[in-house]
Amino acid sequence: MQIKIVIGTIAFMIAMMVLGYSALREPARLGRFTNAEVGRSIEAGSEIFANNCTTCHGTDGTAQNCVDSTGNQIACQGLPLNYNALLCGDVSQRMTDMNWSGTKANYVLTTISAGRGAMPTWHEQFGGPLRPDQVQNVANFVLNWESETLCSAPVVTYEWPDQVTDFLSGPDVTSPGDATRGADLYAVTYGCAACHGAHDGSTPAAIGPSLIDIKTNGATRVDGMDAQQYVYHSILFPSDFIAPECPTGPCAGPPSVMPANFASRMGDNPQDMADMLAFLLGE
Amino acid sequence: MATFVEQVREMGIKQAIVTKADDVVERLTAGMNINDVRAALRGDEPRRPNPRLRPHADGFWLHIRPSFYHTGVTNIYPTFRLGWLSTFMLVWETITGLILMVFYTPSPLSAYGNMWNILGNVPLGQLFRNMHRLGAEVMVLVVAMHMLRTFVTGSYKKPRQFTWATGMLLLVFTIFLSFSGYLLPWDQLAYWALTVFISGGAAAPAPAFVNENIMLILQGGPALGADGLLRWYLLHVLLLPLLAGIFFFVHYYKVVLYGISLPPGREQVGEDTAKRVPKDERTYYIPDILTSELMWSALATLFLVAGALWLWDAPLETHADPVVTPLHVVAPWYLSWSQGWLKLADKTLVVGFIPLLLVAFIVMPYIEVGKSRRYADRRVGLTVAMLFIAAMLVSNWMGSPEFRVQSSPDREVSIQVLPEEGPGGIKGIPYEHLTPGTYSPGQVIDGNPFLTRGLELFQSAMYQQSCTLTGNPQWTACTVETLDNGTRRFSNFFTTDAMPDPVAHLEIVEVQPNLKELILHYEITNPDTGAVSKTEWTRPRHAFSNYEEECRFLNKSCATD
Repeated sequence: MQIKIVIGTIAFMIAMMVLGYSALREPARLGRFTNAEVGRSIEAGSEIFANNCTTCHGTDGTAQNCVDSTGNQIACQGLPLNYNALLCGDVSQRMTDMNWSGTKANYVLTTISAGRGAMPTWHEQFGGPLRPDQVQNVANFVLNWESETLCSAPVVTYEWPDQVTDFLSGPDVTSPGDATRGADLYAVTYGCAACHGAHDGSTPAAIGPSLIDIKTNGATRVDGMDAQQYVYHSILFPSDFIAPECPTGPCAGPPSVMPANFASRMGDNPQDMADMLAFLLGE
Repeated sequence: MATFVEQVREMGIKQAIVTKADDVVERLTAGMNINDVRAALRGDEPRRPNPRLRPHADGFWLHIRPSFYHTGVTNIYPTFRLGWLSTFMLVWETITGLILMVFYTPSPLSAYGNMWNILGNVPLGQLFRNMHRLGAEVMVLVVAMHMLRTFVTGSYKKPRQFTWATGMLLLVFTIFLSFSGYLLPWDQLAYWALTVFISGGAAAPAPAFVNENIMLILQGGPALGADGLLRWYLLHVLLLPLLAGIFFFVHYYKVVLYGISLPPGREQVGEDTAKRVPKDERTYYIPDILTSELMWSALATLFLVAGALWLWDAPLETHADPVVTPLHVVAPWYLSWSQGWLKLADKTLVVGFIPLLLVAFIVMPYIEVGKSRRYADRRVGLTVAMLFIAAMLVSNWMGSPEFRVQSSPDREVSIQVLPEEGPGGIKGIPYEHLTPGTYSPGQVIDGNPFLTRGLELFQSAMYQQSCTLTGNPQWTACTVETLDNGTRRFSNFFTTDAMPDPVAHLEIVEVQPNLKELILHYEITNPDTGAVSKTEWTRPRHAFSNYEEECRFLNKSCATD
């Protein structure tokens, strides 16, 4: 019996020492695990992103390289996410543009959950296909693009002149624009055709008004604006003037469902605007 | 009795305190004073009347315990302490489970997050989760072994048939307790193991109306969801522990009533002398059995604490996803045999057979009435038992991933090198050693033993799924068969569906800060048509994901080991 008491006591003491040893190492272990949930969440988010988001936002989130399910290069209809103006700073440029007063994480999460403009809803609560944890995973993945390299590049803010004539005669563009390049910008780079339809009428407008006759229509919409000024202004400030007829009935707004960020996107290369105008209003 | 103050006046403060302490100890032990306790621990003969019997007569805790055992059952053989260990495991699981319950909410919205909170935010959380999970598996093992030894020593025979029957129920409760806890983390492993199990239950040979309702009741809806999780949680923490507790006491009451049966050789055939213990064959509970039980408890505690800390890590896969079925859904090892049976026979047949088997086990001692418990007289019974165990082991192996349906050869390589879940293969390599670049199988990377080891694993996985038609020394030569439809099939020693002269490589790309993608590329040229098929398999790996931590444990295999 005595030997049993000795063995039992020693075993119990060793067990308590092992427990104490693990307790001593616990702060370090907890430290290693603190961000593990975020890490795994980002991993899961990257897969959901690859399967659901890349057709509009691009494989690397820059909205420049979008392929459809068969592997064809298509126009990116989404906004860039791997992008300075979305991710950098506590209050990023895009949050300011959208008058968002919450946190950046909430901005991304809410946009994914409930949609925004042409962005569909993703959270099952709003009729989307994703569970809450999946939406959170995608949001964590998108936010993970923030890096020093991304944020050290300055945000380009181009000052657009009020009048299109000042713009076209200004030093930043070669006038007149290149309508051929404009056609490419319309169909692919900025993805205008997705909502406004192909300019040759081969695919009809889906959401926004058809722009086939904008050269004549545009001149009569707003007093004191010719077609060129009207189109120029409407690209920069989509909510200022609402077109009367959309494919699904009277156009909604203000605010317009058209993304309001073409001013900043085209600001990277103002020549795009000149080419686009040349294409839309071409002789 | 004099009050304490009076005692102090009478015999002085020191003697009064000693008397008071003696009194307290005697009350707590329900009859043994300090000297009695010390004498018991020293192994002295008890005084008369024996104070060591009073805790059994007057105390609550020892009331159900016999005051002495037959010395013939106090050695390791014949009990192997398995009954005591089963009880210990039940208590162990209750204590660790109660602690885990504090950090758990049974809702699909929070359950999975709770697991990460337990791992990353609760001091000793991982240890307790591992102890609970390891304890659950050990408990199934111990209870099953307890049943086996009861059979082998013939202890189920008259008059202990009912003890055996309640023991069978306790085995079932133990398995259900272990399995019902499976669902609670709400990860892929949990979700799909339960989904398969429930769909099995719904295949019972009964009218469709009954099966549909079984399914509805077990899942709480057309699919496993919030209601189902709540139900399995309540089963796990309330109903099953309650049933196990009740039947434990019924079982143990019968054990005490009939006594633990002596080793078969120690009594005449047909005799049951366990309750007639001669004076010189008595081993008293206090102190001998008690110290023995405490010793075994201490040893089991040590094993479970150390095991949970170093050997065995409870798995946690990705969040449960009803629309993504993992490539290989596996049952826990103690139910693996049923998965093996499902590969042999129709589902309805198997599901109908299992309850029949259980009933057969329960009624077995009432039908098998051979009087002798001696091994030599029970050659048929013991042979049948050994054959049954062998059949169960084979069934278990057939239910294991070793014996699964093969998917395409490149997929088989991929899930070995970069599994969907867990830290296996290359995923467990520390993040900083996953240098971006393109690597071929078996390549040696100077100064990077981790990646070198990973590529070695890639090479050996490829070797099993590849063969060569061109004499490439990397692979074994293809065995070529022409099928009826004219296509050719390429085999090697391991598989009948090998890749002929594959070109494969591993690509590591950094796609985001702290996030890399590990991509396996395969390129196979069809030797008949010349058509090139390219496939790839991508797994993301984040710097914070801490797979390395899991690799420390014996039950997780990583390329870094």
